[in-house]
Amino acid sequence: MNTSTPSRTLSPDEVDAFGRELDALRHAVIADLGQRDVDHIRGVIRAVRYTEVAGRALLHFGVGPVSFALGAASLATSKILENMEVGHNVMHGQYDWTRDPALDARTYEWDTACTGDDWRHSHNYEHHTFTNVLGRDRDVGYGFLRVNAAQPWRPSHLAQPLTATLLALGFQWGVGTHDLRLSETLAGQQSVGELGRRARPFLRKAAWQIAKDYVIFPALALWGAPRVALGNLVANVARNLWTFAIIFCGHFPDGVRVYTAEETRDERRGDWYLRQLNGSANLEGGYLFHVMSGHLSHQIEHHLFPDLPAARYPELAPRVRALCEKYGQAYNTGGFRAQFGSVLATLARNALPRASDLRPSAA
Amino acid sequence: MSTARWRAPGAPAWLRTSLGSTVARRLFLDRAVDFWLGEVDPAWSLTERRARVVSVTRETRDATTFTLDPGARWPGNRAGQYATVDVEVDGARVRRCYSLASGPGERTVAITVKRVAGGRASNFMHDHLRPGAVVGLGDPRGDFVLPAALPARILLLSGGSGITPVMSMLRDLAARDALRDVAFVHCARTRDDVIFRAELEALAARHEGLTLTLSHDDEGGPLDAARLTALVPDAFEHDTFLCGPEGMMATFEAAWTRAGASRRLRRERFGAPRAVPAGVAPTTVTLRLSRSDRSHVTDAPGTLLEQLERAGERPAFGCRMGICNTCRCTRRAGAVVDTVTGVVSREPDEEIRLCTSVALTDVDLAL
Repeated sequence: MNTSTPSRTLSPDEVDAFGRELDALRHAVIADLGQRDVDHIRGVIRAVRYTEVAGRALLHFGVGPVSFALGAASLATSKILENMEVGHNVMHGQYDWTRDPALDARTYEWDTACTGDDWRHSHNYEHHTFTNVLGRDRDVGYGFLRVNAAQPWRPSHLAQPLTATLLALGFQWGVGTHDLRLSETLAGQQSVGELGRRARPFLRKAAWQIAKDYVIFPALALWGAPRVALGNLVANVARNLWTFAIIFCGHFPDGVRVYTAEETRDERRGDWYLRQLNGSANLEGGYLFHVMSGHLSHQIEHHLFPDLPAARYPELAPRVRALCEKYGQAYNTGGFRAQFGSVLATLARNALPRASDLRPSAA
Repeated sequence: MSTARWRAPGAPAWLRTSLGSTVARRLFLDRAVDFWLGEVDPAWSLTERRARVVSVTRETRDATTFTLDPGARWPGNRAGQYATVDVEVDGARVRRCYSLASGPGERTVAITVKRVAGGRASNFMHDHLRPGAVVGLGDPRGDFVLPAALPARILLLSGGSGITPVMSMLRDLAARDALRDVAFVHCARTRDDVIFRAELEALAARHEGLTLTLSHDDEGGPLDAARLTALVPDAFEHDTFLCGPEGMMATFEAAWTRAGASRRLRRERFGAPRAVPAGVAPTTVTLRLSRSDRSHVTDAPGTLLEQLERAGERPAFGCRMGICNTCRCTRRAGAVVDTVTGVVSREPDEEIRLCTSVALTDVDLAL
């Protein structure tokens, strides 16, 4: 990990210069967008569709455990690619310049419990605008996990090794209910009526998702229904675990900074870039790993340039890293095992209060 | 919004019904079904109409006719109407409006495209669009059409590639054997620039009721009202259908107005919208995008679309000339003027087109 040297504090002029250099990187990519970007995403969409059909066919018509495992793996691959490389990236507007309705950010709907509209609000707007700002970015611990010592400790955090595990297993439901603001409702900050209003589209989508994987497709398999339902469950859970791991590695490893609203009050563009950079962490890996992570393995580049096609991040990364060296900024990156290990350590460490958290004045 | 952008031409009724609830359709089925249809044949889609190029005919040195098979669900066009055509150029869709040169009732539709210097769509179509290729095709639209009750005397007056809608009318009249008192006057730069010349001459030879006049700018200069009335003495007595370049349109609009015959003149405009009326629109206005919670202060005149794009926004757009409605959005507050129609919109929540609207005050848009 490259977190040994913390980021240097830049002068206002340096901040502006840093911002201009990143803007220049961004404009160079925008000027170069074209056929190869479209070919890439359509290739991934093709892979999504074919792995889905292959997976469902193996589950429906296969016999024995080998075809079951292959089928569930193929279906999980389809769901992962669809959620990560297609859904997440298309909904960021990364392909809006194509004006292809199949790649339209405003109408895309993905194969997960979270509705596209909720996601566009909670993720594209809140999380990407107020990244790692305590109290503004609800992705910092999702309202119930303590992922940074700057968050106040509550007794419920003692259970977070367990709650985090449950979240990982059912991650799509965590994401799906995120924008309903359940914890705010429990804390009395949101009325039950407002919760109901927010929940309606989610419930409709959730019903369809459950019906699709656990009623309709199993019913089509007649006596093979239990096998198909189980295969779909395995695929969904595998997708949940993978997305949980990748997403937690993006913001919660050691060395990632959080900010207070006060610090970000009069942010310039360069400051916003610095916050995105210091609030994110990368994962190293090969081409397939990057695509399967929806290029969130390049979380830093994604947060700097959320609406550039993600497949461009690997070519941007060396240039971003060179800028970080020039401006004395830490570039938090590491292998999956190291970064995820760091995430687990963070979760475990923050489950316990520091001595200062227990003093009455802190509460 | 999406349905406004990509008006679904509709799937066969049995398929729509069997696709079940709208929620399910909206979420996945359209997308999945469209993907697999496209794998079988790129021209197949449930969500939009796609047409296959059947033939490509060179008309003049810079004009080419593309004959398209619009599929069985083409609603049919009236003579003189236009449709949007989508082509994909280097990964990005480009939408243009083209008048249909083919007559109604034909199984294929024809568009004639003039190569425009630097034009993304026209150059792509000339250089790359070959038989078998697939393009997006919108519904036929426009009210520049022959009336149901045919006028006794008709003048079809066109210039350059503006010939296409009136050619459709001529073909329709010929097919209905209704060429009784029709004058067809067309202007082109040179003899070689006359689109459809062979067909026009053949029709004129076959139909006594059709008088054909071809005017070439290089032989006596551009046609004006005086020369037109020399060619067609009672021109103002005809129900006239005019389509041509901006200058030509202005010339004859003025002539018909002077003759007190503007009621008998119908026009189809193509090309960029008229310039922003100077001195009317303030340069500095605040454009508030209430859906995305962003505001921009403009620093230069222009249409809302241009100003938004300069501010880094990427609103949907199509023809950029106030026709295709792609950039339509709700204006929540403020006043704008449509530079094409001259209509001022100031009531709350009216639909406007960004590409032709100019802000008269600060504006709040549902974007």
